[in-house]
This record gives sequence, structure tokens and C-alpha cells, in this order.
Amino acid sequence: MAELLVSIAQGVEKGDDKQVVELVAKALESGTPALDILEKGMVPGIQALGKCFKEGTVYLPEVLIACRAMNRGVELLKPHLEGVEVSSKGTVIVGTVEGDMHDIGKNLVKLMLESNGFKVEDLGSDVVPGIFVDAVRDTKADIVAMSALLTMTMVEMPNVIDALKEAGLRDKVKIMIGGAPITREFADEIGSEGFAEDCASAVDEAVRLMNL
Amino acid sequence: MKTMNNLTRVLTTLRHQEPDMVPTFENQIDSQVRDKIKPGLSHADFIEYMDLDAITHHELEADTAVVIDESKGLVRDKWGALRRYIPASETVSMTVEAPVKSEKDLKKYVPPDPDVSGVYRNLEQSVKRFKGKRAVIAVVMNPGNAVKNYMLGQVEYFKAIKTDPDLVHQLTEIARDYYLRFVKNCIDVGVDIVWIGGDIAMSTGPFLSPADTETFIMSSERGIVQYTKGRGVPCLRHTDGNIWQIFDMLVDAGYDAIHPIDPVAGMDLGEAKTRYGDKICLMGNVDCAHLLTWGNPDEVRRAVKKCIQDAGKGGGYICTTSNTVHVAVKPENYVAMVEAIREYGKYPL
Repeated sequence: MAELLVSIAQGVEKGDDKQVVELVAKALESGTPALDILEKGMVPGIQALGKCFKEGTVYLPEVLIACRAMNRGVELLKPHLEGVEVSSKGTVIVGTVEGDMHDIGKNLVKLMLESNGFKVEDLGSDVVPGIFVDAVRDTKADIVAMSALLTMTMVEMPNVIDALKEAGLRDKVKIMIGGAPITREFADEIGSEGFAEDCASAVDEAVRLMNL
Repeated sequence: MKTMNNLTRVLTTLRHQEPDMVPTFENQIDSQVRDKIKPGLSHADFIEYMDLDAITHHELEADTAVVIDESKGLVRDKWGALRRYIPASETVSMTVEAPVKSEKDLKKYVPPDPDVSGVYRNLEQSVKRFKGKRAVIAVVMNPGNAVKNYMLGQVEYFKAIKTDPDLVHQLTEIARDYYLRFVKNCIDVGVDIVWIGGDIAMSTGPFLSPADTETFIMSSERGIVQYTKGRGVPCLRHTDGNIWQIFDMLVDAGYDAIHPIDPVAGMDLGEAKTRYGDKICLMGNVDCAHLLTWGNPDEVRRAVKKCIQDAGKGGGYICTTSNTVHVAVKPENYVAMVEAIREYGKYPL
């Protein structure tokens, strides 16, 4: 069984969705608990990929197809996970701030967070502060992750934080931000607890913010 | 040193010789910033008013895009993509819906026609007005990015690189043919320089592995660089991001200059000068993400001085912002930048 889980991890890491689907089915048939397939096979695979991305040895296409392989495997596992306590690392609201439609970074962060055990509420792009506020209230999220690619739109980030303060929700949620012009200094300046420069670092940062 | 005219200043720099002073011009200058500096001027009037060394015209300026919903900033562009312009900007847009999703779409796909009338009218006007005096530059996309941004959409493009490389190659071929003809037409109109754009890197490094960058990006644009230079026209390249891993590739492609040595992505102008200054001209990199947006004129002047110190020696350096003069740049900071270039950039340095 251990070998099969290693192969599943390798399939996820190299983004081979056919291999993942085939091996997950085989593991299920052989009676391997779905939770073990997820936590001991697929998650280590996506984590290894994330590490390589941070180290600069894999690139955006590899990340996207690994996330796709992960999702295909998870779809197969879902019916077998009903009633099983799958521990979520937390709920993260993701969105690109008002005026900014550049969403590939945000989409990658979403994929990587989901693949690493977070529940993600995706608000999309060009999201006004009020929508972030409503989502925090409705989902009881742990983290709000905002992205902006443009200097002209990063100024919207403090507006979202202000809106959360006005709604009395700021102390209920952690903030993390990212995007091309964003720096740790800017995050500190606007009072964002978290900052990530890429989708793999976003997972690490979310884990840090959750004190996991 | 004898004063040169603007065009000679730029061309001398691109030949790696010292001009009379460090040249400056921009990829784009937002009209709102322009209007705050000197209200009522056209793009060309502003170039003359600021005495910038070149005027740029983007391929989409005189495009055949059809407005779908003005209130939402939605247009159908020449590639068939539904694009949305962001409210604050006249130049930044994103593809909402790409025209090609599979091989099936490819079969019925009709690429744009580079010979359609009117597309080169702005270039023609600038050539008429500035020929021999200021550099007239045509700014075009690289074929790979046209596939990513216009034909497939970003996420599908990156996935298809691994899952359907044939589709990417076929689309890249279509885009390459279009741009070869487009660039030919620009040169026939009389442009002095061709500037190829399209980001191929992000803050942490290239989008694609160096091998994939070669296969899916450089192999198609190299022919355009060669064609351009074969016509005796210099060719510049813009890409945001950290490009250390692929810098050699851009040099080997034959580009005359690389822009903007993105400081937000950790690129260092002085290091680029040391490593590549004898092989390729450098353009950049006064920070428009933070400094020109939130800094003050004194800080801008100091940054310009440092850029010139880092990269100006021996020529081969054009001082520009680290991307564009976008809508959030403080007008007084851009004015300070240009003044400082003229003050600190006189050769011999």
C-alpha cells in the first residue's frame, strides 16, 4: 500500500492526471481508506511540487497540471469521504481587489490552498470591499487573501481592511496579500498580517497565520 | 560634447556608443498624467513638450476592436477575444473570454488581418511629423503572448503547454505570421525601432522553464527579431519580472535593448550592466510601482542619479520608468524624473 501511495504522490507531483485517477481507483479497490489516499498520497505530492516551485525548479504549467491531477483524484475520493472527518486547515476567502482583473495569481493561490487542505471561497476578480466584508460575515473565514497586480489597484487593499474594521470584523480574520507590486513592507504598512510572493509561499503563509 | 538630435541620441545609444546625454522615452504615458502635466496636449504634442527622445505607438491603439459594452469596458479585440479594460486605466485590459478552447475552434479560427486599412495611421502621422528628428517606435506583442493573452487565455495556455503542445504551436505559428507581416508593414511605414512586448516572467522568475521558454516563446519571436534587424531597424524587448534565468536567451535572440530590468522583481540594474552591458543595451528602471507613485521629487532625482551611475557609463543605457507612466504616477514625479535625466545624464558622465 505504501508503494501505491508513493506512486500517487509522484503522479500528482508530475501532473499526470491519468496516472493519479488510475492509481486512486486501484487504491480504493484494494481497500485503502480514502482519507489515507488523500493525506498520505496526494497531499505529499502537491506539497513536494510546491516546494519545487518555491525553489524555482518547476514553473506555472507544472503547477497548473499538478493541481488538475490533484482535483481529479479528489473528485474520485469524494464519495468515499462522505461521513469521514476530513480536517480542514481553515477557510480562506480569496479575491482580486476592485479595479483589477488579473486573476491568474489568485487562481493559483486558490488551487494550491485547496490542494493543501484549506477550504477556499473564491470571490473572483474586481471585488469591491463590501463583498469581502459580506463573505467574511457569511463564511466565518479565518483568512482574507487579496491580490493586486497593479500599482494603481493595490491602493484598494487598505480600503478592504478599513471596511472590515467598520463592520467590526477586523479582529475576526487574518489578512494576507500578494501580487507583483506587493512587498512585505507594504503589507506591514497597511496592517496585513500576511504576505506571499507566490502561490506556494501563500500556502506556507496561510499555515503560519493559522498557527498550524 | 556636441548636442545630438533625439533620434541620433537613441540610435547612438543602441550602438553602444556614448551619446550627448542619456536618452529617455516611455513605453506608455497615461493621458491623465499627461493632462495634469500640460493640459490639452495630444500624445505627439506631449512628446515634443517634454522633449522625449522617442514616440511609441502600440499595435492596439488603432485597432479594429469592437465595443461590446462601453459601461463595462468590454470590447471584442482583433483576435476575437472578449476583453475588459479596467475602469481606472485606458491601457490595461484582461481577456474575459478567449476565442480558442480546442483544436475544433482552431479549424474555424480567423486570425486578424495585418493589412486592414487604418491600423497604421498613428504611426504614419508620427513618421510624417518626427522622421529624422525623434525615434518613432512601433510596440507589438510577441507571438507567444498573443496566444496566451488573446487566443487561449492565460490559464488554458499554461495548461496546454503540457497537455496540448501541438495546439499551442499551431496558434503560435498563426501569431508569428501575423506579427511578421505587421512588423513588415510598420517598417514600410517608416518606423525607426520595433519594440516587442509581452511579459514572460513574474516576480520570482520566468513563467515557463528555460527549455519551454525557448520552445514556446523565443523560437517564434527570434524570426521577428531577425527580420527587423535585417531591415536595419533596431529591436527592443520588454518583459516584467525576474529574468536572470532567461537573460542569456534574450541576448542571444539579437535584441538591441532589454526593458525594464524590473526592480520590484529583484532585478538590479548595476548587476545587469556588469553582466550584460557589453552585449545588450539596458532600459530602466526608475521604480514606478512605489517610488513614482508614492515618493517625492527629491527621492526620484536620487533614484535617477543612481540608475545613471549604475548603467550609464560607456553608453548603451536608456533611462525609463520600470514599466510605464501609469495613471497612479504622480505627475510631479515624472517631471522630476525627466529633468533629473537631463541634469545627471550628460556625457561624459
